Amino acid sequence: MTGESDKVGSAVVLAGGKSSRMGRPKAMLPFGGEPLIVHVVRRLGLLFPDVVVVAAPGQELPELPVTLVRDDVAYQGPVGGIVYGLRASGSAAGYVTSCDVPFLSLPLVSHMASRLPGHDVVVPYWEGRPQPLHAVYRRSVLPLLEGQLERGELRPVFLYDKVRTLKVEEDEIRTVDPDGSSFFNMNTPEDYSAALARWERTAMDTLPDRCEVELLGAARLRARTSRVSLDLPQSATLAQVLSALALELPALVGPVITETRDGLTAGHVCNLNGRDFVRDASRPVEPGDRLLIMSSDAGG
Amino acid sequence: MHGFHDRLLHVDLSTRRHHWQETGESRLRAFLGGIGLGTSLLYDFAPPGVDPVGPDNPLILASAPLAGTGLTTTAKYAVVTKSPLTGFIADSLSSSHFALALKAAGVDAVVIAGRARAPSYLFVDNDGVELRDARHLWGRSAAGAEAAIRGELGGDVRVAAVGAAGENGVRFATISNEGRHAGRGGVGAVMGSKNLKAVALSGGARVSVADPEGVAAAADVLRRRSLGEHTAKYREIGTVANLAAFDRLGALPTRNFQQPTFAGADGLSGESLTENSFSRRHGCASCTIRCERLFKSLSGNEQRMEYETLFALGPLCGLEDPEAVLEAARLCDEHGLDSISTGGTLAWAMECVEQGLLPEAGDLRFGSAEAVLAAIPAIAERRGVGDLLAEGSRRAALALGHGSLDWAMQVKGLELPGYEPRSLKTMALGLAVSPRGACHNRSGAYEADFSGAVDRLSSEPGRGALVAASEDFAAAQDSLIVCKFLRRCFDDFYAEAADLLAKVTGWDYSADELRRAAERIHTLKRWFNQREGWRPEDDGLPPRVLTEALATGVARGTRLTAEELQAMIRDYYGARRWDESGRIPEARLKELGLPASHGGAWAHGR
Repeated sequence: MTGESDKVGSAVVLAGGKSSRMGRPKAMLPFGGEPLIVHVVRRLGLLFPDVVVVAAPGQELPELPVTLVRDDVAYQGPVGGIVYGLRASGSAAGYVTSCDVPFLSLPLVSHMASRLPGHDVVVPYWEGRPQPLHAVYRRSVLPLLEGQLERGELRPVFLYDKVRTLKVEEDEIRTVDPDGSSFFNMNTPEDYSAALARWERTAMDTLPDRCEVELLGAARLRARTSRVSLDLPQSATLAQVLSALALELPALVGPVITETRDGLTAGHVCNLNGRDFVRDASRPVEPGDRLLIMSSDAGG
Repeated sequence: MHGFHDRLLHVDLSTRRHHWQETGESRLRAFLGGIGLGTSLLYDFAPPGVDPVGPDNPLILASAPLAGTGLTTTAKYAVVTKSPLTGFIADSLSSSHFALALKAAGVDAVVIAGRARAPSYLFVDNDGVELRDARHLWGRSAAGAEAAIRGELGGDVRVAAVGAAGENGVRFATISNEGRHAGRGGVGAVMGSKNLKAVALSGGARVSVADPEGVAAAADVLRRRSLGEHTAKYREIGTVANLAAFDRLGALPTRNFQQPTFAGADGLSGESLTENSFSRRHGCASCTIRCERLFKSLSGNEQRMEYETLFALGPLCGLEDPEAVLEAARLCDEHGLDSISTGGTLAWAMECVEQGLLPEAGDLRFGSAEAVLAAIPAIAERRGVGDLLAEGSRRAALALGHGSLDWAMQVKGLELPGYEPRSLKTMALGLAVSPRGACHNRSGAYEADFSGAVDRLSSEPGRGALVAASEDFAAAQDSLIVCKFLRRCFDDFYAEAADLLAKVTGWDYSADELRRAAERIHTLKRWFNQREGWRPEDDGLPPRVLTEALATGVARGTRLTAEELQAMIRDYYGARRWDESGRIPEARLKELGLPASHGGAWAHGR
């Protein structure tokens, strides 16, 4: 045991690429009515309390709930972005990705973060190639990366031989992201069209940054509705979901949701995905989770 | 004596004689009332090995110390006898004005033995005991007989009666009063076997309570709590709420336990019924919760509906149409049939038909509403295939053979209630070991599964203690009697309930004494069963549950193996301090003050 912290508390999103083949900034490509960067940041916000976006000097971006940093020098490649991002991050390690990942799998991100103990870098290999912009880096590797930057070694792979690097193989990746959707990125207008088509096909019923709440029993009768789809706040807990539900369905406040809007009354209980009964309101709710709110009294 | 009359009424229908007997304070302290008192009387007054439908099987109606005190939900009484369905104890509860009338009749319990020569009903009016002609009532529904007797004797009279099913010895017939049923285990068949159509009560006997002010204050507290969030479900939607919830949890037995989810769950759910067909809410006498829901069918009939009836006549038989299920429930009520066993036995027959067996059942297939609606009266009247089905699924399967016992979903002969054992593993154990057979009332083992306190899809040592505690909790409630829907309104049940009992009876009665009484009561049920031939293999679950993985739903693929169940059963026996084969050691019986051999009656015997 080294005593080092294994908490991956930050996400770093590199948004300042040239987008030369795309012909316009990838961060601003519309997906589902909002710029892609908004979508990516919101999803990462579910897992990480601290999100850093690294943009090019002068790059136009929408208002984002993140720490925004600008490259000192534009277009230094990924190593520059990683350096500026890790410097600005507030935790011992960060998950680093780019802004053009519309199908980023949060289970994969969580899995990568969970593999950090005992390593300095955790990097996935997809189709035989390292994916440095889906990797976890300890902040402690910053001096090495800064050295690379000075020497003009702009490819992150040069780092991997120098530190404790865990290579996550494709078989392992497929257990959490079966078709590698996380690695779908876009370089050309054709890629963007293909991504939009895929988005349309899959996004509508499984919007990953929303959770479905089904109301049963007395809760349903009070709310006069059985299903609600809620936007998840960042790093959502059950308490936050209930608070969002209270805004959507005020009739539930009092009889079902407590007056403080962060818990359920004694007569009600929440079940996650039909599986676990959740009593602890600080329990995280993952995107795509289905919450059942029902009577806590199953007898009769 | 406060809280009791200290008097039992014995009626022998064969000789048309009756006598009174002191109940005895030590018996009452040891067994309280209701299920406990009934069990102790059954143990003493049923000859060992008695034929359940023979004249010597006593039919016991037992009142309880809290009945008539005005405490909410306490207007209840117990029917205890030897079950014609299981051959073991049948202990059922019913409630409302008849229960108050039993208390006001001036007895702690009525023990009915013998067989009347002609159809009769028993009328107890203060000190008068009369066996009256019921030939004109024979063949009528229980509700019809109830109304007719009240017409004859006056509106103050309260009546519990059997319908056609009880008269015809259907092994899962009920005794009903005011639309409530003592439902499980075939107590109505015992009453019918005695040529007894009904018991009518009228009387003005009052029971004193030791501390009237204390009881009134406690009643006020309980009443207020009964209107709080712990009873929201029962007050706002009723037990029908379970159907959709259980479906989502993969715990809703469907098509004879072939699946734990039901495609028609949303249309048949309690929520949909409430939104589309709600007629009115109703409550038992002395109850502030008022859980009963009546729904209106398109034909204009008003029908009570509870989860168990909804599940058994709906998903279990593959019926999706609420109208069909409401009508099936109405037919069960009219004929005096236990709706759970009716649905369970019909579902068994449906699977037989699908297997190419039981040609006489015709088109009795899953989802066939018409066939179900035709079969229910046929069972009650023992017509055609109904004669076989009137025996219940276990006996019917033993008669039919062809491996059909494998899909008879019963324990000890009692059909399973609407809780899927494979996805509710604490409940699985509760169902396997209950003295009454597969029962969801004499323990509430499912509460552990639904609370998140345990992983409901797996098992580990400790479930045995949970089940034993749940059984004891139920025994205490069923003997005092308070309704289970009040159970979460106590902060410390044993302490508060013992205090209530002390206020009513004037006894110095501690929480520990109540706990011991509960354990004693449960143990005596088991000891009665042991006397009546219980064998270790009687504790278990049907082969389907132990061999097939769940096919659908969130718990798809989940299994409960025979080894897993056996491990839980051994854990339970350990928690009970019984021997490894589930027999009660003499030392345990002595500790609980129970007779250690079956030679003699309970010390306070006949």
